Amino acid sequence: MLSKNIFRKAEPYLFLTPAFAILLLFLIFPLFWNVYISLHDVSLVNLLQGWTYVGWQNFLDLFEDSNFQTSLKVTLEFVAGSVAMQFGIGLLISTLLSEKVRAGGVLLAIFIIPWTISAVIAAFSFKFMFDESFGILDYLFEKIGLPPVNWLSDPNIVIWSVVIANIWYGTPFTILFLTAGTLSINPTIYEAAVIDGASKFKSFLHITLPLLKPFIVINLILITMWSVNFFDLQLVMTGGGPMFASTTASLYMYRQAFEFGLLSKGASVGLILILINLVVAFIYVKLLRVR
Amino acid sequence: MQKKKVIDFNNETTTVKNTLFFTKRALIYAIIAIFLFLTLFPLVWVFSTSFKPNQEAIDFPPRLLPRNATLSNYVFVLTDPGLLRSLINSFVVSLGSTALSVVVSALGGYAFARFEFRGKNLIMSIILGLFMIPVVINIVPLYTMLSNVGMLNSPISLILTFQILIIPLNILLLKNYFETIPRELEEAALIDGCSRLGVLKRIIIPLSMPGFAIAAVLSFRFSWNEFVLPIVLTNRPDSAVFQVALYQFISINRIEWGYLTAGITIAIIPVLVLMLSFQKQMIKGLTVGAIRG
Repeated sequence: MLSKNIFRKAEPYLFLTPAFAILLLFLIFPLFWNVYISLHDVSLVNLLQGWTYVGWQNFLDLFEDSNFQTSLKVTLEFVAGSVAMQFGIGLLISTLLSEKVRAGGVLLAIFIIPWTISAVIAAFSFKFMFDESFGILDYLFEKIGLPPVNWLSDPNIVIWSVVIANIWYGTPFTILFLTAGTLSINPTIYEAAVIDGASKFKSFLHITLPLLKPFIVINLILITMWSVNFFDLQLVMTGGGPMFASTTASLYMYRQAFEFGLLSKGASVGLILILINLVVAFIYVKLLRVR
Repeated sequence: MQKKKVIDFNNETTTVKNTLFFTKRALIYAIIAIFLFLTLFPLVWVFSTSFKPNQEAIDFPPRLLPRNATLSNYVFVLTDPGLLRSLINSFVVSLGSTALSVVVSALGGYAFARFEFRGKNLIMSIILGLFMIPVVINIVPLYTMLSNVGMLNSPISLILTFQILIIPLNILLLKNYFETIPRELEEAALIDGCSRLGVLKRIIIPLSMPGFAIAAVLSFRFSWNEFVLPIVLTNRPDSAVFQVALYQFISINRIEWGYLTAGITIAIIPVLVLMLSFQKQMIKGLTVGAIRG
């Protein structure tokens, strides 16, 4: 009887055990392991031998590395450009789709196609169009009388080319997310507003936006974090180059660890990325609370 | 006379209103049309290129339609032993990862949907909070962990690590779906002495097939498209997944764009077909998740 009682109490936790075991082993433990690696000297060469403790040395090296400083600046450009455009376009399109557009369902299905493909594919598609000897974009520029642009080889332009690809790739998520949010708003609220004589724009400003606010904030958190951590596009389109011109901090982490074999340097960048993520989440959550 | 004037006046405002209405609608459709074009153009361009011979693919000026349309690029991709191997690897890993995540998330989702237990809300927020932690920042520790236990290049490593991307979302989705099933259905079975696991298997799962379909499609999409984990956790050609095999085209001195675009088209097809067939349920499922979550 007693053992049956204990089982009753433990049962929900047993149901959750497999999920937690996986999360613990492959998400939480690595977070701490990351700290350990960042305080030691670990490279692809000495990976399977003893690791020496070096304290803060990896972080000190990092802050003296001008390439790392560049990568922070590039990250800021990449994140700001991607988030502003993805959110702006996403909000516009999802609002238009809620205007009883004909075949709205089909349109939505088409609009989310970029979200269903992989970043590698998006990256190659844009690399193909951006190519400087046979790409279609420079061809179109030539047609309308504009000078050709060195999309992927000009260090001042390259990150914005990646941002363009990221807008194409990432906006569908915002459209989908905000559309789901709009659908969750009770339509009788609008009917009441229309009866009260509110214009479309006013009802958008005073009804839709406030009710959408939680969705908007979560959406902004997600797309900001993804842009901070995302490096698939850069890796495939440019490899982070020319030199480090399109290397965001997350790609810098990957390149240090797996291109140059400096695992502990990569791990310390990983820790800094965690900090950046926390700050981003904190700011948005604060924004959510402010009325 | 008086009456007629009023009617005229009314007609006039209606016309003005109508014109305004139509201008607005036209503007909406114009924006949507532009966006539609921008969304589809890169894919149409790649699709069309996949039927051009490698040399024609990089012709300048470019032409939308292939001059010498050929299927040879597809034949190459589907007969090249390395690419074929990677395509099979992708299917194995994606199906394995989908199956595992659905089972694990069904158990977890059921616990949240039907049990009252200490720390329930806290555990739920922990799981959702974990969803926010990007997997990318763990690539270095995951690499050292798995290489220390000799599990680099193993499909099992990929299946297990992919779970991090999927499980939190699937638990939430399935929990919400289970909650729509009336409790009375399982209470009778419980009284008859059926175990909780038995109830889940015999009553909840058969009734939740639409929910499982969404969870499975999303899991497959995440697994099939994942690139960073495979490129970090595999380094032997025979254990590469298809996304990594496509990426390897870069290491060839000159990218053969005919072959590559055919490979891209092949990589798009499985997920696109799945997503389009389940599109309605997906939006509904996400909405339910949004309202309740």
